[in-house]
Amino acid sequence: MLEVKGLVAGYGGGEVLHAIDLEVREGEGVVVLGPNGHGKTTLLRAITGLLPPRAGQVLLDGKDITRWRADAIAAAGLVHIPQGDLLFPDMTVTENLLMGAYYRPTWSERDARLARVYELFPWLKERGNQLARTLSGGERRMLALGRGLMSKARLLLIDEPSLGLAPLITQQIYASIHKVKESGMSLLIADENANHVAGLADRVYLLETGSLVRQGPADELLRDKALLESYLG
Amino acid sequence: MSTQFVQAAWGGILFGSVYGLMALGLTLVWGAVRLLNLAHGALFVVGSYVAYWVVSSLNLPILIALPIGVLAAAAFAYLMHLIFIRPVIGKPGFDNSTLIATVGISIAVSAAAILIFNPEYKVVPPVISGNFTVSQVQITKQGLLVIGASLALFGTVYLFLTYSRLGMAIRAVSQQQEAASLMSIPVVRTYGMVIAISGALAGLAGVLLSPFFFLNPNSGFNPMIQALIVTIFGGLGSVRGALVAGFVLGIFESFVEVYYGVAWAQPGVFLLIILMLILRPNGLFGIGEVRRL
Amino acid sequence: MSTGASATLGLTRPALDRAAAPWRRVSLWTVGGVLAAGIVLPLLLVRLDIGTYLITLLILFFVQAVVAQSWNLIMGYGGIYSFAQVALFAVGGWTSGVLVHSLGWNPFLAILVSPLVAVVAALGIGLPTLRLRGVYVVLLTLAFHELARVFAVTGPRFISGGGYGLVTVQTFQFGNAIGNQRTIYLYYLAGLIFAIATFVIWRVIHSPLGVAMTALRDSETYAVSRGINQFRVRLVLFAISAFFTGLAGGYSTHYNGGISTTIFDFPRIIDLLAMIVIGGWGTFAGPILGAGIVIGLDQYLVALGDYQTLILGLALAGIAVFAPQGLWPLIRRLYENYLAPEPLPPAVEVSPSAPHDTTGEL
Repeated sequence: MLEVKGLVAGYGGGEVLHAIDLEVREGEGVVVLGPNGHGKTTLLRAITGLLPPRAGQVLLDGKDITRWRADAIAAAGLVHIPQGDLLFPDMTVTENLLMGAYYRPTWSERDARLARVYELFPWLKERGNQLARTLSGGERRMLALGRGLMSKARLLLIDEPSLGLAPLITQQIYASIHKVKESGMSLLIADENANHVAGLADRVYLLETGSLVRQGPADELLRDKALLESYLG
Repeated sequence: MSTQFVQAAWGGILFGSVYGLMALGLTLVWGAVRLLNLAHGALFVVGSYVAYWVVSSLNLPILIALPIGVLAAAAFAYLMHLIFIRPVIGKPGFDNSTLIATVGISIAVSAAAILIFNPEYKVVPPVISGNFTVSQVQITKQGLLVIGASLALFGTVYLFLTYSRLGMAIRAVSQQQEAASLMSIPVVRTYGMVIAISGALAGLAGVLLSPFFFLNPNSGFNPMIQALIVTIFGGLGSVRGALVAGFVLGIFESFVEVYYGVAWAQPGVFLLIILMLILRPNGLFGIGEVRRL
Repeated sequence: MSTGASATLGLTRPALDRAAAPWRRVSLWTVGGVLAAGIVLPLLLVRLDIGTYLITLLILFFVQAVVAQSWNLIMGYGGIYSFAQVALFAVGGWTSGVLVHSLGWNPFLAILVSPLVAVVAALGIGLPTLRLRGVYVVLLTLAFHELARVFAVTGPRFISGGGYGLVTVQTFQFGNAIGNQRTIYLYYLAGLIFAIATFVIWRVIHSPLGVAMTALRDSETYAVSRGINQFRVRLVLFAISAFFTGLAGGYSTHYNGGISTTIFDFPRIIDLLAMIVIGGWGTFAGPILGAGIVIGLDQYLVALGDYQTLILGLALAGIAVFAPQGLWPLIRRLYENYLAPEPLPPAVEVSPSAPHDTTGEL
């Protein structure tokens, strides 16, 4: 579904990603594991058009989307839930969710999606009129997830779902992501803690200093003692 | 009620509506695109002159000239966006380039107006003519139209921004531009839309206001300076601020003018704005940080 | 470390002198040559009976170039979008004019006061802007411009002259000189002002102050964290810029025999802005080049009338968007690529404390 070939990207004078190859197949949950600052966010940004790649290719269902603008990529079903949430601070919870459905679904489609999101996070319905910037960390994360789910995404890219969250909320978040996966969504998750993503991952890539140093089926990698040691966040 | 008071009040409400109208477009563009559009006055001029041309050369009634003028201004604004703004969006020199570019466009439009028409003052007919008197003060019906239009527009824009798809997209883009693009909102095209809308607003202001003075190629500068002042006073990016600040400044200026003489009106307003900038640079309802370190 | 050893290691004595003293890069011959040409030129023109038209054009150039450079110092180097430059010019011009016209001062003395008054005005304008970001500075300074204009037009008679400005001000008198001879003296005076202003601005740009101001412009948080006092740097910039602008204003009043309120009109600001933008925003030679171009084109195209303004506006907008660096950097690059002699070996950026052959040092 998603293929990345030889992706090179960076900021200013430097190069952060050195020839990354990865793929996400239909229905898969792929995790990119790696310490902070090693390029996970850069990778996701380069794939979804927020950062123009310097070399390489990104293919979505065979289409070359490497040079596509971010909004076109999102419209094609590749939805990025960014690090730091990037909510619309002066819009209400409901407005944020509605913005996720900007692509102009039919009323029933939109209501169906909204219902699904409310199922996952019921409080979003109750506090629909609250301004996004008054939410707590965990609530923002949930709203960001909900917003992403409002789109017609077929592949969700989630950047560090548990960043800055307390353990209890983290569990909730991952449980929700699990439910999303169960409903058939393909996932590409960037995280630095192997424990969190154990239940979600079908395959794992290890990203260190901008290069993929290992990859393989999740159960294989996650059984590796040495690996677990360095990646138990 | 004393004549003076009625005069001051009428002037104040009229000025206030005008300022608000001019400031609305400016503040929308700033909020969404973070662009200080110094060609706003030029859009005012484009709208006015096109309407004038429709009336004088095509001999059509002002009621038809009005929407044509507005559309012309909107189209011109969008063209300006395509040629001079879009190429530099996202580049580090954006503020610089657009500041100078809009200034350049401003004088180019003035010069074009002189060349196409001529420097002589032109008369643009009012949409509603006639007036009546209250306490010996002349109240023009066009003036009432301006006030009504201004309030109606503010209301419309508010509803538009709150409930319409494009309006919400504009808000989204002005609050968190990256996230907006991740929601498949076409950011650059949205910028263009906002700029076109501000052009329409400026053009409308132009056509409605031209009957009050004689239209000339430099007509755009003063309204634009007023718009700038009102926008900053009310807070860059705030629609509410533009409305409130428009009236506050309009009424202030009018009362100063009536009670202290016309020479004090402008300086009075300027001193007020300088005070505001020193004490509360964000303006009344401003968004976003202003302070330096 | 012996010479032999250091040579083996490939360490060379860093060429510190060249890098640290940029003024040594400009050849004294070039400067001397230009000065000499400038001095001789008018004499030559008069001798050849070409007339004084070119000389008056050069005087105009000198005055405008000084103001353009001063404005560039604030906007291009300082990154402060101040639109008060014309107002400062007017302050200088009016100060000098009033001193001579109403108080009977000698013009030569009066123009010594103009820069000082302009500096005071600039500090008054500069102080509130220190806390504001780009956009707001534009408005604040435009407000001051408007205030100045309104004051000049509607102020007391001795200033406003009934709304037209000062109209019959005594001009410079050089002994009994008249006609061509007098024009030449005027030229020398203008040239002197230009030379001093250019030199001072050049030194400022290449001094620690200059580095500080570009640091503030490019990365404010970092500069401040390194101890640069942004208030002091900016105020000094304003002061220097205003000083020479006021001086130019004073000279202008006594050259023209008056100063008109039309000076506040937008086209004047546009002309100056065009000089900086077309010539090279934020470069040293840019505004000088720009002044020459704008004045030259102005004379050449004066027959076009308003078409000229139209073209100027579009050119301004076009350059701002498509060639924001202006002409000077382009010219310099062309020169370096095609005409320049073999470039100097790049100054080695080595710390003086790095290992090197120390035999020559104390």
